[in-house]
Amino acid sequence: MLNIITCFKCVIDEADLKVDAATKKLLFGRAGYKISTYDRHAIEEAICLRERYGASVTAVTVAPPSAKKCLKDVLSRGPDSAYFVNDPSFSELDPLQTSSILAAAIRGHMRFDLIICGEGSDDLYAQQVGPALAERLEIPCTTCVGKLAYTEDKKHVIAERRLDDGIETVLMPLPVLVSVLPGINTPRIPTLKEVLNAAKKMIFNLALEELGDIQGPYSRTVKVVAADTDRRGIRFAADEEGIRSAVNALSKEGVLLRVL
Amino acid sequence: MEDIWIFSEKQELTLELLNPGRSLADRMGAKLAVFTADGGLAQDYISHGADEVFVLPPLRPGQPLESYVVVLADEVRMRNPGVFLLGATPRGKEIGARLAVRVNAGLCSGCTGFDLKDGSGVLEMERRMFGGKAVQKILCSTHPQMAVVLPGTFEPAARLPDRRGVVIEVHSAPFSEVRIVSRSAKHREGADITEAKIIVCVGRGVESKEDMEGVRELARVVGGEIACTRPVAEERQWLPEEAYLGISGKRVKPDLYIGLGVSGQIQHVAGIQESKVIFAVNRDENAPILDAADYGVVGDVSRVIPRLIDELSRLLKV
Repeated sequence: MLNIITCFKCVIDEADLKVDAATKKLLFGRAGYKISTYDRHAIEEAICLRERYGASVTAVTVAPPSAKKCLKDVLSRGPDSAYFVNDPSFSELDPLQTSSILAAAIRGHMRFDLIICGEGSDDLYAQQVGPALAERLEIPCTTCVGKLAYTEDKKHVIAERRLDDGIETVLMPLPVLVSVLPGINTPRIPTLKEVLNAAKKMIFNLALEELGDIQGPYSRTVKVVAADTDRRGIRFAADEEGIRSAVNALSKEGVLLRVL
Repeated sequence: MEDIWIFSEKQELTLELLNPGRSLADRMGAKLAVFTADGGLAQDYISHGADEVFVLPPLRPGQPLESYVVVLADEVRMRNPGVFLLGATPRGKEIGARLAVRVNAGLCSGCTGFDLKDGSGVLEMERRMFGGKAVQKILCSTHPQMAVVLPGTFEPAARLPDRRGVVIEVHSAPFSEVRIVSRSAKHREGADITEAKIIVCVGRGVESKEDMEGVRELARVVGGEIACTRPVAEERQWLPEEAYLGISGKRVKPDLYIGLGVSGQIQHVAGIQESKVIFAVNRDENAPILDAADYGVVGDVSRVIPRLIDELSRLLKV
């Protein structure tokens, strides 16, 4: 039976973020948490592959203890079990550190034929963890995957990559890692049964001491400030007069010069 | 010598990186080197500022670009550069991350700028977080300092007079277990959206085929290219995938962006925030796009689009 690992990150819901206009500081106070968007697609892809070919699916995350709240949500989406690699010091990891911890956890505790990651996380969108993890595990990888299938012998995967210059279809021997784009599938909404079932699934906690050698940090964040939004936010009414004023405003900006 | 290295498979990106590369090299008293798979461009890169051009061996049929990771890693270990800048194409991003692990160095990906901290040789690198809502500044404590730089962050380097440089052939063999079995080039329908001066963007609030006709007419009147948000590209499939703007799609810098029924999710705004003027129409007064815009109209696109067409036709005498 094929073993699939799907990695996920529990992130702050950026829609909840507020900005202190005076100090340009980000206010996280009331922000909720969610499974990072592209990771939901990664989980869904693992479940689809299980439905088509038969497999066991294990979800893995590296996070501070507070991320526990995401585990039930993840398990309700289909994985058979989850590994929660957690430590209070894991709240501000750089992606290369994260990949090192993931690699140590996977090497030490899990078997796999295929690892599926989201292309990037909602908070950092660094797009590093997937390929970096593959390098550390010394397995091939490919990124920007929009379509995925096993070959008939189940010893390879075929992946379609959506790249800047077109679609590139690649063949890779197992074990392998892919990072996926959201167009690959539509994550199903867990049924009530699946939500209730989630409580019965195994969660394996892994502590720092159980991991062996990990690398990093590789970079240090010296500042995070709200981006400049010097947009005017001027609003016009939707009636004829309002639209006329809006169009005049655009004209005054000099942006309505038609390119012929 | 802490040389500055550049790699991108795209000529335009290499020329962009030669710009800050040359400044860094001058300030640090270092050499500026370009890695390229195309030896024919070597003289071009030298005349735009490179001191050295390393020509990578050609890939065998079926070898993906990422087969160069082992080659670049060998070169880094052998020659010990101080800074390595890569161009952020999808392939470039993968190469950067894998290379960083191989050479055990830190990496700023999606880099939107960097500054040399006085005297120390350390680059303070900038990138976006939370879908573009925040700016993050990072320092890489390792060696070399690596950044995968977003296209358009820098202007292309100027041609410099009387430039001389050295061309060096790299001999290590590219390798990958990944094999390309087929490629289908993107056929562009219409103009390149990243070059458009005016963009009319379709969001979920554009619901009917009639609305879509109105969008096309509006784009025609104003002389703009049509784009869309990711959900519209994936779900409606009225527009080709390369028309979608956002953090995992295209980033654009038009003079005018018109968002119709676009809610303004951060991932989308990240792709349009460098527009000179943002104008948005949305029936929800709380839609995030209205705060991210310079000018906005709260109203139904079905009613607003025809009025916009009338006004713009009058003004532009179309």
